Amino acid sequence: MPNPYLPNPAVIQRITDENEARDIKTFQVAFCDEKVRDTFRYTCGQFAELSLWGFGECPIGIASSPMDQGHLQFTVKRTGVVTSALHNCEEGATLGIRGPYGNGFPMQMMEGGNVVIVAGGFAFTTLRSLTNYILHPDNRRRFGDLAVIYGARSPGELIYKYDLEDWARRDDIQLHVTVDAGHEDWTGLVGYVPTILQEAAPSSQNAVAVVCGPPIMIRFSIPVLDKLGFPPSRILNSLEMRMKCGIGKCGRCNIGDKYVCKDGPVFTFEELQKMPREY
Amino acid sequence: MMAARVIDKGRIVSLLDELIEGYEVFAPVMSDDVVLFDRIASGGEARLDFANSKRLPKEAFFPPSEVMFVYAGGQPEAPSSTGDRLLFGPRPCDARSFLVLGKVFNTPDYQDAYYVEKRERTCIVGIGCNRPLSTCFCTSVGGGPFDEEGLDVLLSDLGDRYLVQIISERGRRLLEGNALLEEATEADLQEKERIATEARERIASRVETEGLSDRLAGMYDDPFWETLHQKCLGCGVCTYLCPTCHCFDVLDEGGEQRGRRVRIWDTCQSPLFTLHASGHNPRPSGRERMRQRIMHKFRYFVNNCGEIACVGCGRCVRNCPVNMDLREVLIGIMVR
Amino acid sequence: MKDLSQQIKEVARSLLQDGKVDLVIGYENGSLPLRTSPCFVRSAGEVERLIWNACCETNLATYLPDRDERVGLVAKGCDARAIVVAIAERQVARERVVIIGVPCEGIIDRRKVASRLGWKEILQANLEDGRILLAGDGFEETLPLEDSLYEACLTCEQRTPPVYDVLVGDPVPPVEVVDPFSEVAALESRGADERWAYFSQEFSKCIRCYACRQACPLCYCPECFIDQTQPSWFGKTNDVSDTLIFHVVRALHLAGRCVDCGACSRACPMGIDLRALNRKMIKDVWERYGYQAGLDLAAMPPLSTFELDDPQEFIK
Repeated sequence: MPNPYLPNPAVIQRITDENEARDIKTFQVAFCDEKVRDTFRYTCGQFAELSLWGFGECPIGIASSPMDQGHLQFTVKRTGVVTSALHNCEEGATLGIRGPYGNGFPMQMMEGGNVVIVAGGFAFTTLRSLTNYILHPDNRRRFGDLAVIYGARSPGELIYKYDLEDWARRDDIQLHVTVDAGHEDWTGLVGYVPTILQEAAPSSQNAVAVVCGPPIMIRFSIPVLDKLGFPPSRILNSLEMRMKCGIGKCGRCNIGDKYVCKDGPVFTFEELQKMPREY
Repeated sequence: MMAARVIDKGRIVSLLDELIEGYEVFAPVMSDDVVLFDRIASGGEARLDFANSKRLPKEAFFPPSEVMFVYAGGQPEAPSSTGDRLLFGPRPCDARSFLVLGKVFNTPDYQDAYYVEKRERTCIVGIGCNRPLSTCFCTSVGGGPFDEEGLDVLLSDLGDRYLVQIISERGRRLLEGNALLEEATEADLQEKERIATEARERIASRVETEGLSDRLAGMYDDPFWETLHQKCLGCGVCTYLCPTCHCFDVLDEGGEQRGRRVRIWDTCQSPLFTLHASGHNPRPSGRERMRQRIMHKFRYFVNNCGEIACVGCGRCVRNCPVNMDLREVLIGIMVR
Repeated sequence: MKDLSQQIKEVARSLLQDGKVDLVIGYENGSLPLRTSPCFVRSAGEVERLIWNACCETNLATYLPDRDERVGLVAKGCDARAIVVAIAERQVARERVVIIGVPCEGIIDRRKVASRLGWKEILQANLEDGRILLAGDGFEETLPLEDSLYEACLTCEQRTPPVYDVLVGDPVPPVEVVDPFSEVAALESRGADERWAYFSQEFSKCIRCYACRQACPLCYCPECFIDQTQPSWFGKTNDVSDTLIFHVVRALHLAGRCVDCGACSRACPMGIDLRALNRKMIKDVWERYGYQAGLDLAAMPPLSTFELDDPQEFIK
């Protein structure tokens, strides 16, 4: 019988500092087993359980695009026991990976239409996966307009700066990068994400919005999206929850009768409104 | 299916001794005034004169702590074991709990290898309850003192002998041709029916559960939970003595080079259960945690799996240090 | 034991009506024979629920820490002692608790009674004139109350609470005890191997439910040592060495603070002899520092302070 609790050994190929505070890093990893490496498939919005031997596991959204071959990327903020252990790793260190888990973004709902991505701070990870997926030449034609509104507290806290630079040069994406507070070298937008969203005013016609960020950002973005005409059934959110098994057995990530690891982490706002406020 | 048999009570020890030859046998034993289920090496260790065990037969499939795998040099290795097992002596309520647990641990998407592998190797011989306790309320949650759900064989106590009814193919394989069993008579079968009917009627605790799930639907913000949780100590007794509770924690023990990953029972009543690394806790007080326990067992599980995640065994009622009585809680919900 | 229910109701009623407290915590009838249950009363109209008898076992002081309300707490001697320690340790403000002291002649040990009846289910129990009248399926039995009390009650020197704001009923003299630590001394006199075997056996029954910790009025740490992860001090499985160390460290953390109320032992669903460890700590603290916890609001627990002439021959 396959044992879903056994992590697959993987090696850290590259570590990239993403922010000035140096508490957010992107880890590029590859499975040790060639067969797993070649057959591992996932969709945007899914997560994996990363095992740091001796410390435990943590659920991290997959930040690489499913179009990337042979490796996975995870962007992790140092917060507790496991993430600290991960941050202490060097390139070449091994860890374990279980997954992919979760429902991921509903690609069928988004294909054939426009996509508006609203992201704040560190929650950008799986949305970056989604953006790169959509922008890939094999996929771009299946989607309409793509708007990305992304903000961080300060310029130093923006992550994926290398992607942001690439995207800014493209004409098939409407990119709005903002910071809460700039500095003298910052020439980009300044303002909270909900404000910039309001100014950008992307059309809700045949569009789906994906919103991920700190609770306060979400709380103020929703009314803006509502005003723009996005119904709750076409606004998506990815929830975070304390998890252990990742496969709906250990019982701790439930919100009402939904398990965030299995029925989520992606939910529409319409679904969230029906769930108890316990997240 | 095999016709019903009987076995003289005096022969049970011999039967168990025989079965120990081919099976790992788990049976009720008495340990310091407490009845629990443990592996026995000889038939004489089993104690069958008890109302219900304190600790749970589910520990044979889902023990309080269990090694998931050992790891060395970045490679995990899970323990494996083989061999037929026999779980002898659980009551019908506990047998029913295995069906509930199966809906969690054995789903089409993922199978919990640890639970499922042990469960699939195990034959279950249960014993009906002639005299349910005053705290038993199995009939209120879809069960009964002589119900057969979850059992391969049902024993019924007819005084000096047990009626032996084979329920499944696995049960037949266990006992077919066993020389210690004799043919049951029509009178035996009728006596069992009489005892079973009487046992059902003796059940004094009756809790209306029809419509309970719907009633709970509107109660998420009800002040009921605020009053209810006050006396709760927030320990884990109700959850750790509950046949259908299945929540667990996963921990690594050891270093980076070698060690093991274990799973241990966990309780939604602990404040740590849903505590995020950021410090945020969606269930910050006993009120939310008590609500979660009741809602999960009597509404969420019903929504997801079609049945109540409680078998009415009454252990939580008998063992709660502050006499929080689940029966009263459910009645309180129904009259709101 | 005198039935002080009426007096307790009157005290509770007047405290609530006069607005001296927001909440009275006492006992009400339980749902099973020989059980009572903690009762939270916030209005004068509800005081009729409050009762008092030899089944009022819970140490209600466990509900005091972290509470903003002003509380009137029905307290036996041991419970009041726990409140005193909690006040000394600044977990409860003295002026926000009204100690409703209740003189107590001993609480029934349900396990003792059940054991005497061969663990047959008790369906009815009545307390009358120093006797417990018990009935079950096909049996009736009467047990003398004094033979059915908790071990802790048999050596209780604070049957009248040492500190209280109002005393319900007449004071009760302490039990005359010749050698309060005889059973500890008996354990001490057994060899180390024997003691190890005894405690390993006892604690192998532990299911790590933490009822002992939750029931204890003085285990109020927002994060218990056993739950810490950075670092993780001890294992959380029910490996007997992990379990033993949890209980040993908990007993050490209670040294000089434990008031021997027995809440831990009563809460334990497996009937583990938890008091043995705590009694040893109590004996050691008494012999070394001449101190008993919870008798004096002004006294500081000896392991929280020091004197220059403290005994130290055990520090090698």
